[in-house]
Amino acid sequence: MDADCKAIREHILRISQRSGHGHIPTSFSVVEALVAVYGVMRHDPRRPQWEERDLFVLSKGHASLGFYCVLAHLGYFPIEAVNAFGAFGSSFGCHPDRKKVPGVEVSTGSLGHGIAVAAGMALALKLKRSARRVFTLIGDGEANEGTVWEALSAAAHLKLSGLTVLYDDNGSQIRCQPIPNAAERLRAFGCVVHEVDGHDVGQIRAALAPVAGGVAPVAVVCKAIKGFGCRTFRSDMFAWHRRSPNPAELAQLLEELNENSI
Amino acid sequence: MRTAFKDVTLELAATDERLVLLFGDISVYLFREFTARYPERFFNAGICENTLVSMAAGMASQGLFPIVHTIAPFVTERSYEQIKDDVCYNGFGINIVTCGASFDYAWDGATHHCYTDLEILRLLPGMEVMQPGSKKEFCALLRSQYANGLPSYYRISHDEHGEDLPVSFGRGVVVRDAGAAVTVLTAGPILGNVLKAVAGLEANVVYFHTLKPLDTEVLRRFAHTKLLVVHDAFGLFEAVAAEVPGVRLWRHALPDQFNVYYGKLDDIRRAIGLDPEGIRAAVRRVQAEP
Repeated sequence: MDADCKAIREHILRISQRSGHGHIPTSFSVVEALVAVYGVMRHDPRRPQWEERDLFVLSKGHASLGFYCVLAHLGYFPIEAVNAFGAFGSSFGCHPDRKKVPGVEVSTGSLGHGIAVAAGMALALKLKRSARRVFTLIGDGEANEGTVWEALSAAAHLKLSGLTVLYDDNGSQIRCQPIPNAAERLRAFGCVVHEVDGHDVGQIRAALAPVAGGVAPVAVVCKAIKGFGCRTFRSDMFAWHRRSPNPAELAQLLEELNENSI
Repeated sequence: MRTAFKDVTLELAATDERLVLLFGDISVYLFREFTARYPERFFNAGICENTLVSMAAGMASQGLFPIVHTIAPFVTERSYEQIKDDVCYNGFGINIVTCGASFDYAWDGATHHCYTDLEILRLLPGMEVMQPGSKKEFCALLRSQYANGLPSYYRISHDEHGEDLPVSFGRGVVVRDAGAAVTVLTAGPILGNVLKAVAGLEANVVYFHTLKPLDTEVLRRFAHTKLLVVHDAFGLFEAVAAEVPGVRLWRHALPDQFNVYYGKLDDIRRAIGLDPEGIRAAVRRVQAEP
């Protein structure tokens, strides 16, 4: 595991233990995707409102703890600020609020909204003849929402090549309505599709490279493991969906993370 | 009023390139001059109201002034969460212009009737809610509000009230001050029926084209009288009750039922007592109250 990604996961575990909040397995499944996307985006943590920045929308807002830890790692704010995660009066809620957290472009939480908002951003930038790009990260559970496909259809119709959708294919919906052929569906809806290992930063970055003369939105299916990094999460991801470790469990999870058990 | 919508957007687009239109496959033929002149600023995204609203929010986030337009129930009742989250919570100001609310599509049945729009949108923080009753009011309100960066809702109607009234966003209009013990409060095109109803009766009439923010100043002027809200939608009564509590307040509006009789707007209004005769009877009942 990439050393940065391991450090980010360690922060996720510690902050969740301290605060009693956070969706750890889903945050763990997107760490590499977030690190990769910020690796290709034009952005400046010292100037979150820089007018030439690319834009990122975390559509699966419940991965906020992972998102905050990545933004802190990039230098948007000190990691200590996130210690108040979910506390009364904190800026760092369990879903991100753009008016409270530097680097957050859109406040999210309800699933199925991100692609359409990101498509609107991409359409506006296309109108302005801007080369700025827009990225959004959605979950596979979220892909049960009809608005995901409605928005993709519109984005393809409008030829929004400036829009890139990262699809966190972590198998979270195996107990409800699985989508076994995400890449095929995304392709059928008009996207240029890449399939990558969701825990390989290099592979994801390569898939996110800008394409000259594109005429369609890009979708990157990140085959991921919910809770990647700790075998405890993998053995029972539903029990840990929204659960924080106690101090003894934290010690065990840190040990697992450091032994690279998965 | 829809033709006026076309005219005023053509006028505004000529001087403001930040104005963009997102339509849900309605009024497209009517706006053919706009699409010919500004093809890049007109998007007929199809029948996908939720996406229309969220995309408009994304466009607003980049400094544009989008106007979403489609039929009222589909973009207000269906897309309420998109308006709540992507527009109001995020503070991405868009304009929503609807047609067909209340019983404008009387003949289409309950799926196409929409009388909750004003009330449910009034509940969202930061939302401006307007029900113009004439072309003049709609154009004036759109001109003054479309570029203020706030979420704004305009409900346009087939019907008009036929009065030439002063228009200023957020201000009620005293249409008739008879020094009477009863004041009829109303909004939108139904003012036409109200004025017919009160002919020869002792009643004041105060009219609102803006339901949020509601003009509480004008309400307070008449707060000592018996207030009767006459409206073919929800929203005005609830706003008055919330904004000026403790007044003597009556309501002559919609029954708790689907009003599926087909026919035309006036047929439905007559069936539920919102024709001039029904309203006149309601005013008389309130006059008789202690």
